[in-house]
Amino acid sequence: MDTSLANLDETAMENLPEEFERFTRVQRLQHWMLVLSFGGLLLTGLPQKFNEAGLSIRIVDMVGGIDNARLFHRIFAAMFTIESCWHAMEIGRAIFKGKFRPSMFFSFQDFRDLWNMLRYSLGFISQRPQFDRYDYRQKFEYWGIVFGALIMIGTGAALWFPTYVTKWLPGELVPAAKEMHSGEALLAMLVIVIWHFYDVAFSPAVFPLDAGMITGKISRERLIEEHPREFERMAGRALHEAGTSGEVASSGVVQAAQTSAAPEWQEEA
Amino acid sequence: MTAKTNLRSRAFPRRAGTALVVLVLCGAFAAALVGIPSLRGVALGEGKPTDGPAKSEKVLFYPNCLKCHGDPELKVAFSNGESLSLYVDPTSSDHSVHQSRLSCLDCHQRSAYYPHFPLNVISRREFTVAMYDLCKRCHFEQYTRTLDSVHFEAMAEGSEKAPVCTDCHGSHNVLPVKGSHTKIAQTCSDCHAEIYSAYAKSVHGASLEAENQDVPVCTSCHGVHNIHGAATASFRQASVDLCIKCHGDKQLMDKYGISSAVTKTYLDDFHGKTAGFYQKESSSVWPDVAVCTDCHGVHDIKKTNDPDSRVVKANVAETCRRCHKDASPTFPAAWLSHYEASLDKHPLVYLVQQYYRFLIPLMVVGLALNVGLDLWRVARNR
Repeated sequence: MDTSLANLDETAMENLPEEFERFTRVQRLQHWMLVLSFGGLLLTGLPQKFNEAGLSIRIVDMVGGIDNARLFHRIFAAMFTIESCWHAMEIGRAIFKGKFRPSMFFSFQDFRDLWNMLRYSLGFISQRPQFDRYDYRQKFEYWGIVFGALIMIGTGAALWFPTYVTKWLPGELVPAAKEMHSGEALLAMLVIVIWHFYDVAFSPAVFPLDAGMITGKISRERLIEEHPREFERMAGRALHEAGTSGEVASSGVVQAAQTSAAPEWQEEA
Repeated sequence: MTAKTNLRSRAFPRRAGTALVVLVLCGAFAAALVGIPSLRGVALGEGKPTDGPAKSEKVLFYPNCLKCHGDPELKVAFSNGESLSLYVDPTSSDHSVHQSRLSCLDCHQRSAYYPHFPLNVISRREFTVAMYDLCKRCHFEQYTRTLDSVHFEAMAEGSEKAPVCTDCHGSHNVLPVKGSHTKIAQTCSDCHAEIYSAYAKSVHGASLEAENQDVPVCTSCHGVHNIHGAATASFRQASVDLCIKCHGDKQLMDKYGISSAVTKTYLDDFHGKTAGFYQKESSSVWPDVAVCTDCHGVHDIKKTNDPDSRVVKANVAETCRRCHKDASPTFPAAWLSHYEASLDKHPLVYLVQQYYRFLIPLMVVGLALNVGLDLWRVARNR
C-alpha cells in the first residue's frame, strides 16, 4: 500500500486541480429546495407550537392569520415532500444506472472515526481520522434528516387528514402524531441551528460560509484535510484522466500533505 | 441670583392668596353639587336613601297630579284604537327602589305644565318608547350602554318589540334586579321564551331553578345593558373566555367536583390554540374552529354524563361530524376528552411526549459539547 505514495510528489500535486467538484447541480438544487421548504415550515409551524410567545403572534399576524399560516405550512410541506421524493428518485436512478455509491451508509469505520476524533480532539493522538467522502457527523445529520423527514411527513399527513387516518387506524394516533410532529420539529431545528450552522458557517475552518452548496466545489486543501480518502479517490481519477500513469492515490499522499501542516503540539504529544 | 430670589419671595404670598381663593371656590362648588340635589330629594347615583325626617317630609305624589291621575277612569285613547289607563295608584311605588326618592315630576318633567304637551304617538307601544329617555337623567351610564346593544339596534331599525328600560325594570314599581339570578332569567324569558326553555333544561338552568346562584344566567354571558349580538365573530371569539371565567376557577369548580384543567387541556390542543390565535386577529374574523359551545351546546348544555349530552360517548361522533363531516366512529378517540396525557390516560401520547422531553435536551447538550470540543481543538492547533 505504501509503495505508490512516494510517486505523488509536488509536481504531481501541481497537476491536480485547485478545486474538486463535491456536489452536482441536482444535489445543490435539492439542498436549496430543502432549505426553503424547511425554513418555511419552521416559520409557519413553530408559532403554532409556541402559541403564547409574542414573536409567534407577530409571525402569525404577519402572514395574515392562523388560517394563512396553516395554508402556507401545507404548501411548504408539499414542497418538502416533493423534494424528498425527488431525492429518493435520484438515488433510485443512480442505482438503476449502476452509478450509486453507498457513501452515506454507516460502516464500522465511522464508529472507529468517532472514537479517534474524540481522542484527537482531546489531544491523545496527533493524527486526525482519515474521513471518506462524508464523515460520521455528516452521515448522522443526513440520516437524521431522512428519518426526521419520514416522521414529519407521516405525522404531518395524519394531522392534515385526521378523519381519513382514523378510518383504519386508532384515533389516539392523531394526538400522538401531533406530539411527535411538534417534538421532532424542535429537535430538527436545534440540530440544524446548533450543528449544521456551525459546520457550514461558524466553524473557524469555513467562516464566514462554506460555499460548497452554492458553487458545488471544495478546495483541494480542505478536501485533503477533511476528506482525505475521498481526495485520494478523486486525485486518482483526475491524474488518470490527465494521463499520469500508475496507481497514484492512497493515504500516503494525504499523510505527506497533512504532516507538513501538522501543528507542533501534536508532534510533542 | 439675589434678584431672582427676591422676586420669588415677593411672588409667593400673592400666589398663595390666589390658591386660597380657588380652593374656597372649588369647595363651594363641590358643596353645591352634593347639597343642592339632596335638598331637592334627587339621589345621586347609588346613594343610600336618606333616613330621618327628610323621608316623611318628602312629597311623593303631588296632590295636583292626583287630582286627575287619582281617577281610576282616566284613560287616553290612541289613534290605532288602543287605550291606556292614566290612573296612578298612590301605593304602586311602595316597593319600588325609587320609593321615597323620586316624585312624579322627577321623571315626568315635561308634564310640569298643564295642560301637558301633547305627545305625537299613535299606539301604546309608541307611547312607551317615547318615554324611553326619561330614565337617562339619573341612569345616564346605563342608558348610554343600552345604545351599544342589540336591543337598541333593533329599535333603530324600527322594531316595536325592542325593549326599553321599563320593559325589563318596570315603570312605577321599579324593583331591584341585582342579586337575584332567578329574577334576571325570568325577565329575559318574557321575550326569549324559547331560549329560556332550552336553558331551563340545561345543567345551568336546572340548578338555577333550584336557586343556585353560582350558575350563569343570561346576563353572565350576554352582558347587562350593552348586550351584543351573540351570532357575531367577536362574540364567538370571546365565548371561550366566558366559559373559562367560571370553569377555570379552581375553587368554584372544586365545589362541584368539576376539573378546572378543562380550560388548559382545551387551550393547549389544536382547537384551543387556533381559537387563541383568532382572538388576536381582527374581531371580524370568524373563528372557524371548535369553541366550547360547538361541542357542549349553547343554552342547552348538559352534564357530560347526561345521556342527552352531545359529548357523551354515544353522541360524540355525531358531534364531531358537525365539523369533520367524514369522521368515522373511531375518530373521537383522536380527542383526549380534556384529559392530560398520562400513563393511565392516553399512554401513547404520554410516551411520545416523554421521549422528546428526554431526547431534545440530551441532543442539545451532545451537539453543544461537540461544537465546544471542535472549537477547543482549533484553539489548541493554533
